[in-house]
Amino acid sequence: MMDGAIASWLLAGVPLLGAALSFAVWSRPDYLRNWSVVLSILSLAAAAGMSGSLATSSENLLLVYLLPIAACAAVLGQPVHKNLRLSWTMTLLFLGLGFVILTNQRIVGQVCLLVLLSSLIVLLYRHHTPLWPISWFGIGAYALAVGCVTISLVAAPPLSSIASLLACAILLPLVPFHSGYITSITRLPGSLPSFIVLLLPAIGIHILATTISTVPDVAMSTMTVLALVSALYGSIKALAQSRVRLLLAYGSLSFFSIFWWFVSISHRITPQAVVFLAALSLVTSGLLMSWQVVRTRYGDDVDPQAISGLVRRMPHFTVLFSLLALAAMGLPPFGVFTGFIGMLLTTALTSSVALLVIMIVWLAASWYILDMVQQLLFGRERSDLRYEDLRRSELASLLIVLLIVIALGIAPSNLFGITEPPSNAQAVKESVSWNR
Amino acid sequence: MSLALAVPLLLLIASCLVVIGPDRTLHTRTKLAAYPVGAAFVCAMVILWLVATEGPITVRFYDPASIASLAFPIGLYIDRLSAVMMTLITGVSTVIYCYSIGYMYQDRHVRRYLALICFTDFVLLCMVSSANLMMLFLFWQVLSYLLYLLAHNHAHPATLRGAFKTFTLLRVADAAFLAGIVLAYQLYGTLEFQDLFARTAGNPITLSLWPGLEISAATAITSLLFIGAMGKSAQFPLHLWLPGSLFAPTPVHALLHAGIINAGGFLINRLAPLFGLSSTTLHIAFVVGTLTAILGASMMLAQNDIKKTLGFSTIGQMGYMIMECGLGAFSLAVFHLIAHGLFKATVFLNCGNVIHKARQEPAFPHTDPHAEEQEFSRLTWFTGFTTTLFIPLLILLVTHGALHIPLLESQGTVIFLFFIWITSSQAILTLTRLRAVASWKVSSAMLLTLLFVMFVYLFAVESFTAFLYPNSQEVASYFKAGDLPDWLFDLMIIVATLTTIAGWFYLYMRALGRSVWMPSWVESVRTRLYVLFMNRLYADEIYQKLGGVVVRFLDRFDKSVRGWSQ
Repeated sequence: MMDGAIASWLLAGVPLLGAALSFAVWSRPDYLRNWSVVLSILSLAAAAGMSGSLATSSENLLLVYLLPIAACAAVLGQPVHKNLRLSWTMTLLFLGLGFVILTNQRIVGQVCLLVLLSSLIVLLYRHHTPLWPISWFGIGAYALAVGCVTISLVAAPPLSSIASLLACAILLPLVPFHSGYITSITRLPGSLPSFIVLLLPAIGIHILATTISTVPDVAMSTMTVLALVSALYGSIKALAQSRVRLLLAYGSLSFFSIFWWFVSISHRITPQAVVFLAALSLVTSGLLMSWQVVRTRYGDDVDPQAISGLVRRMPHFTVLFSLLALAAMGLPPFGVFTGFIGMLLTTALTSSVALLVIMIVWLAASWYILDMVQQLLFGRERSDLRYEDLRRSELASLLIVLLIVIALGIAPSNLFGITEPPSNAQAVKESVSWNR
Repeated sequence: MSLALAVPLLLLIASCLVVIGPDRTLHTRTKLAAYPVGAAFVCAMVILWLVATEGPITVRFYDPASIASLAFPIGLYIDRLSAVMMTLITGVSTVIYCYSIGYMYQDRHVRRYLALICFTDFVLLCMVSSANLMMLFLFWQVLSYLLYLLAHNHAHPATLRGAFKTFTLLRVADAAFLAGIVLAYQLYGTLEFQDLFARTAGNPITLSLWPGLEISAATAITSLLFIGAMGKSAQFPLHLWLPGSLFAPTPVHALLHAGIINAGGFLINRLAPLFGLSSTTLHIAFVVGTLTAILGASMMLAQNDIKKTLGFSTIGQMGYMIMECGLGAFSLAVFHLIAHGLFKATVFLNCGNVIHKARQEPAFPHTDPHAEEQEFSRLTWFTGFTTTLFIPLLILLVTHGALHIPLLESQGTVIFLFFIWITSSQAILTLTRLRAVASWKVSSAMLLTLLFVMFVYLFAVESFTAFLYPNSQEVASYFKAGDLPDWLFDLMIIVATLTTIAGWFYLYMRALGRSVWMPSWVESVRTRLYVLFMNRLYADEIYQKLGGVVVRFLDRFDKSVRGWSQ
């Protein structure tokens, strides 16, 4: 049996080496994209081959498998263009760093996290357009994350735990530390937003799992309140957006906040929560890829109302986009619904107000996502627009995401390690208070 | 077991048959798909017979004790209620599908609509045969989305707005349904029907919603589930989606009004032992149902569009059905929904032909007021009076006074008697208004109507109730749970009776050609109410205004935090 650390570095070596070698085909964007896709598939194969040797939990293993799949789909969904070369190479680099962080020992992982955060700061500083101007709030949030990770490396508990918790709140977005996440989704180039949307929460949940037992109760109680406020805030902001990327960013923020709420009241990360988070990240990633399809054809930040009537001329896109939207609304049979229901039923809820807020957030998603779908797909066709359905690579990328999200929803849950009994499986015996 | 699985799967096969394949073979495939749909109906009838003779069928593809199967516990539980619903759904679907093949021929969206009709039937069948509350909710939600798809046409803005409204309103009800499920599981640790009923009955829990405000767990759970039922059954104020979805093709409406809308009534009946534990929820259901019945029927009278008239008629009938549930008459509600489903499917399918004919012939429907006989018929009116007032009163006096049968001691019996009377008098009134001629045929038809209604209700009371709920004590307990305070119940019966008699008197005087004196304020209120009901209580405008306020708030909020978060 191979040592865990060696297996981890071998696994990370595949995409990291691929990123380094990508400069050999830098002048040929089509080769470079194919190279990135092949490296992602090889990374997945390596993860599957070395799964027995990796020193990681079964929930983490699920995320380790999903990362190369997301990277592959994100790159496949991009058109071939020289301006996107950096994003493909960075996707491979981030995939490698993600592997190290998720499968390695604490210090090495955190050093890699510092590298990842620093790279994001540089990318955000460099990549901005008149439509999406530079966001100092986003850069500041990642700078704060760098500070928090450094403190968690050098300080003793409980300071290190609180610093780790803050870093988690930036990676796995929670108001008021969400600017980094919003900025990444809206500003990063090419395939990075649809990959980052899984990578950062996956790293966040990994750090949270290791520190949650040492976080003081006061901090967790604060997180409970923050999570509810954040869920409401994300929903309200999503309802007010007309720009698709912002809508998706705030919509996913509100659902990530639901995850935070469950984690903070149960003081543990259940397998159902991991399924929820993984499915939510993938669905958001899929919707970003769908939006990329529209952007490729009609330009960046186009108004969805201006390009109505895609349904007849782009049937494949319509079907896949609609199904991903259904998944994002939390409808069955997709993973978001399964994880959401799993969390609701297996966590002992004691507050009717919290349940009400969660239901409102879940309901609001149906409103803003359906509105977006309706604006984009339906309505009158425009004679001045050229409609072109999905190309093969785009179809493959969306199909991969959709199938994984369905698999997360309907696969037998014990595949993800969901076997332990719920904390409240037996009937309660006396009056209970629901007025907290 | 395989037969039980075959019923929904046959409809799924029919749906796939329509969807998959090239355009040139579409018409052949749509005709072929009618066979599995018909076969499903035959299988459903066989299942009904099997269940009636051998007891419920249970098929589980999950382990009820395992947490791993919580989110997707797929299985079938087919008891008599499920079997009756399956037969109704497949029967109506067969008729609707066969009709649709011709009606939708050469329509641009024929593939989508026919496939969706079959798939919706599949989802409905899975829903009514669900083995547990979670599976029921899974298909309940899918049905919400299918309604959205059925109700919309890509290129028609008004249809799109209606479909959006349909989905969002149904999701409000879905959210309440989910909250009810979560509460039930949190408190009783199961979502299996029988276990949940037993635990709720055996372990009464009190919830403190607020300091000093306590509520029983059964009431809290059933209230939330009832909101879920309100959405699908178009109860006030969640009824707005139904008129908004009226742009859909007529066969879709036949299915909607005959099958999908009954989901609320089915849910309450499926969970009858749970609802029977909460008088409060039953009373809420009664109030909501009554309000919906009154408003739905009033709005129906003021509409000038055939589909809207039928739509509001359905809303009124659904209100009537929920009212029956609120009174504890669960089996009567099922009987009502079956009768209404068959009737509405027929009317909607016919309405499609009428609309087509009216488009071809501008003078259709022919209205010639002079052709109607204006002469007042004493014979007709005498028969009407005798059958609707004299005979019921005589029966009541003989049974109660002479035979000493304590008819009026149970609210349940009074409810049945009252519904017999109301239904027969309404049918006779309709007959009288249709053909107010002095004819023995009309008079005989009235007497036959009375007898028919009485026998039908007697069947509903005796045989159908005993079929659905073989335990008579269980039925009595539901009536007991739905009992209203005696003074209120008597008052309601008296008011309803007086209103009906006053209506008869008013019509009698109008038919005689005499004017009925009314205070001027009554006339003025009548006109105002007419305008109000014609505009559907301005509910759409109120919702729109409310939506505008919310959008303005969201915009203001978004602008106030824009610099910080973007």
